[in-house]
Order: sequence, then C-alpha cells, then structure tokens
Amino acid sequence: MAPKKPRRKIEQSENSMKSKKGHNLVDFDDKLTHMATQSHKRPMKKRPTPMLTFSSFARCNLFSLPKFCNSSSSSPSTNSFSEESAISQRKNSKKVEETESSSDDYDDDEEDEVEDGTVQVDFEFFDPKPGDFHGVKLLLQRYLDNYQWDLSGFVDLILAQTTVGTVVKSAESEEDADDSDGDKEGADEEELFAVITALNLGRYQDNQCIKELKQYLLGVCKEDSTKVKLRQVLEKDARDAGLLVCQRFANCPYQVVLKLYEAVFDEISWATEDEPTQVLRDSFRFKHYLVITKILENKAQLLQKTVKRKAVWAEPVIYMKQEDEILHEMSSWSFKFELSAEELAPPEFKGYKKLGLVMLIKAEAIAKFLKKLKSSVETL
Amino acid sequence: MATRLQFENNCEVGVFSKLTNKYCLVAIGGSESFYSVFESELAGVIPVVKTSIAGTRIVGRMCAGNKNGLLLPHSTTDQELQHIRNCLPDEVVVQRVEERLSALGNCIACNDHVALTHPDLDRETEELIADVLGVEVFRQTIAGNILVGSYCVFSNRGGLVHPHTSIEDLDELSTLLQVPLVAGTVNRGSEVIAGGMTVNDWTAFCGSDTTATELSVIESVFKLREAQPTAIVDEMRRSLIDTYV
Repeated sequence: MAPKKPRRKIEQSENSMKSKKGHNLVDFDDKLTHMATQSHKRPMKKRPTPMLTFSSFARCNLFSLPKFCNSSSSSPSTNSFSEESAISQRKNSKKVEETESSSDDYDDDEEDEVEDGTVQVDFEFFDPKPGDFHGVKLLLQRYLDNYQWDLSGFVDLILAQTTVGTVVKSAESEEDADDSDGDKEGADEEELFAVITALNLGRYQDNQCIKELKQYLLGVCKEDSTKVKLRQVLEKDARDAGLLVCQRFANCPYQVVLKLYEAVFDEISWATEDEPTQVLRDSFRFKHYLVITKILENKAQLLQKTVKRKAVWAEPVIYMKQEDEILHEMSSWSFKFELSAEELAPPEFKGYKKLGLVMLIKAEAIAKFLKKLKSSVETL
Repeated sequence: MATRLQFENNCEVGVFSKLTNKYCLVAIGGSESFYSVFESELAGVIPVVKTSIAGTRIVGRMCAGNKNGLLLPHSTTDQELQHIRNCLPDEVVVQRVEERLSALGNCIACNDHVALTHPDLDRETEELIADVLGVEVFRQTIAGNILVGSYCVFSNRGGLVHPHTSIEDLDELSTLLQVPLVAGTVNRGSEVIAGGMTVNDWTAFCGSDTTATELSVIESVFKLREAQPTAIVDEMRRSLIDTYV
C-alpha cells in the first residue's frame, strides 16, 4: 500500500488491509448466493431525479449495500478511504461501466443483462504521484475542450502538488498481482478513476499551462461584465483564487464524489497549517474557487422557441456532474460558453446542447456546499 | 530526424497517421498544424493524404501498408477508397480486405520486406498481405500481446518493441525481421509503441510527451540521425550490387 501523508499517522499495516479484504470477500460469497436467488429486478425502479444516480451500477451500489463509508470517514487522521461497492458482474471481466458512453448517463431505459455474480470494487484514495501521469492526463483530455494547450505541464503541476490533491484508483490490481508485488504501482497506472485538486492561480501564474488556461478563459467569455470580474480574479486576485479541478470517469459512484470533495477541502485546511513556509501556507488560504465544467442546456430554451422535440426531461439545464448544480446556485458569478468540438449527444439528450460553464465560488460558501452535497447523497 | 507533435492535445500520433516510404496518410479534422508538420517534413518527397477510414479519424490503426501496397478494412467507404487510390502513387496497390479483425493497423506490423501479424488472422488475409504488400508474413506475439501492430513498430532499418519483451523474444524477432530491435517506450512511458509514433526509413513522428531519452533511442534504433531520402538509395545501391561484370 502506498503510504498516504505519513505525518497523518496512518496505522494501517499490510496485514490488516489484507484481512479486511478477505473478510469482505467471504461476506460477498454469502451475498452472492442470496442475490442469485432473488430476481434481478432493481429494487427501486423509480425514475431517478436527474441528479445523483448515474447508472445501474450506481443504483445497485447505493441500494444493495448498507452504509459502509461512515466508519472510515469518522477518523480524520486516516487519509485513506476504502469503499466497497458490489456491482453485478463477473470479477476480472472488462469494466463495462467504463467503456460505456463517455458522457454522463441518465440512461433510464437501460435494461440490465443477466448478471452472474458480484464483484467487489475498492476505490482507494491516494496522493498524486508522478506515475499517475497517463491516468490523470486521460481524465483531463477535454478539460479545455479541444484547445491546444500545455496539458502535460498542467498534469505535472497537479502531480507535483502532493499536499493538496487526491487521485482515486481501484485496488483490484493488488489482488490480481500476487506474483508481481513490485508491479503493483505500475499496474495501478491505468486504473485511475478520478482526480481532484485545487491549484493556486497566483502561485503557478508563471507556468505555461496556467497562462494558456487564463488566455482560454478570457477568450471564451463573451459577456463583458463577467469578463471584467474574470480578469480581476485571474490577474489581480490570482493569489487568492484556487482552480478547483475535479474529473472522473462517467459512472463514478456518488459516495466517491462526496469523499473526494471532503478530502480536498480537508487537505486545503491542513495545508494552511502544515506547509513548511509561510508563503506556501498563505497560498492555500483561498478566498475564491474557480470551476470549469460542462453542462447540457435545453436547446429549445436557447433558441427561445417552444420545445418541438420532447426531451426526456424538460429541464432547462442538466448538470453532467451533480455537484455543479449546487455550486452553480452558490456561485458569485458564472458564464456559459460554446464548445467548439461537436459532440453527439446520447439519444436521451436529443434536445440538449453541451456548453461549458465557468463559475466562481466564495470560500465561505464551501462549508454549506459540503453539507448540501452530503445531504443529497444521503437522501438517496 | 524525429519530430514531436500532437493531434488535438492527444500525443497518440500513430493513431491518427500512417507513414510509409512512399506515402503518408493523415486524419482529417484536428487543427491544420498537425497536417502542416507532416507537410513540412515530407512535402515534395512523398504525398501526404488527408483521409478518414470507415468514417473514423483513427487512420493509423485501421490500415496497414508499406511502399508496395495499402490494406484497408472492409468498413472503408467507396469514396474513401477512391480518394486514397487517386492520391497515392500508381505503384502502390490499394486493397480492401474482408477480415473480421478490422483494425488492421493493430493486427499487422510491417516494413517493406517482412510483416508480423495477429495470430488469429484469416489465412486468406495472410495470403493477401503477402501478395499486396510483397512481404513475408509471420504470425507472432509481442511480450504475450497478440496485437502485434500496436506493440511494435519497425522500418527497414530498425524497430522498437514493447518494453516488457524478453531478451530471447527480442533475439528471435530480430532474426525474423532482419533488423536491429530495441525494447522501449514512447510518450513518457506508454507501452503502445505504434500508437504513439509512426516511422519510415528517414523520418519519425512521435507524440509531444516523448522524453528526450526516448527520442534519442528512437533516433538511434531507426538510424534517423543522418538519414536523408537520397542517402537510402545510395546505401542500397552499395549493398545490392555485389559484383560488376
């Protein structure tokens, strides 16, 4: 197990981790026989609010397991959270949920195939390290649409900041690679599921990638009034502004997302105390967070005509990442912009167009955001 | 000379292009800068053809070819086939292949004399490869991977294979291919060699993430340092003519 911040005194030995996993596997054998005798119909086939259930995987995950994450979250000293999600698929088969459509799935019509057994997936949270380069780069491929910028430099920046920032990997590879223990870290390279971090725009303002990012944002902002505020944040107030980057694969279970956000904000507050120099400590005292994300907006509303083709939901805006909705409500200002890459919307999103969204959130609003996020996960 | 470039922030240059000694295929879409890098290196020497294959941009992985011919998957449209035929020199035979494994670039790795193929390729396809490309065909795996076209790349002068290839395999392949081989990576440790770069006898194009070390390995194994298109002709003349009557 790669050690997380040692100064947080993580007392998890290899043995305890292994036995914990063994214990859970035994649990699932029982669960397996139990589930096999049940019907495959999903327990609650209500139409989900287009909020928090991403896919059948997520629904199954949320409805079939008791609350398991509370035990790990109660101890703030451990920086590693192990989540077990049962998904009904054969272990070691290709991760179907990952290879499904890349856009977020509100696929209500997806009928579940007959499923054989249950697979246990452990999501593990790590500090970023240089070996995660390819995984993180893949997640951030479309971060600035198809704008040509120093993406590799940006990824390097994220990986270099180990104090604030988390990557999520699957621990499956550990169980498979019994023969090549040294290979464990290498095997994890392709298994990166999510990344979250906060970068101080002032601290890194001399980096090529940040300069290009600022240029891009100023270029896509078409509203003059917002542009002035944006320029203020990017240039004068850059030292107080943090770029909040959160990217994950399409079917990421919502509990993981919640933990990610809690982790990054915890790390930021720890960094303000623990960083070796005053300059670094101050660099994490963010006053604002800037978020760049994507949304789906109802085309009909954009054109201001009556909805000709009935969209599955007549929502004005669908947020691809549900926490964006909460953030958007709390944002000080925001603007939408057109994306240049023409992407085909999945059939259920026919009436919608993908747009980029940039918003600024005050640091004070974060506590409220986390509370709201937590409650929305728990109400499922 | 090896050049570093990207296709729309993507360093997988070998996916979006196919380079041989007689022609170069490049994907459409993406910015003009991708195409122009190829043009600046190759203009006047060989034609650079912008195309799609089966409506996709992954032209490098869908087709397999060398100076003698080009093999296209069955999913290639008639317009694409015609366009490619028109743009390529007449000596190059362009052939559509009815093969279940349609990503020919992933299944076939070849230079002008030898080809390595996916072990499950049809017998008819194998014969077609030998015919159209004028090569000797060997069914092989690379470091246990059946997608030979993805995990190795070789020209007439040298080759680069998957980093986990054992020494024995390396020797065996080197004997088969009759070129020096080296196990290495491209694009900062990526094992999918053929996805990250494309090469012919005098030039190579790699993803912009390729480190200086990887680039120097590429330049040395493919002998690109002093290579010019004309130099090859001179060298070959020397090796081909062994007696003057």
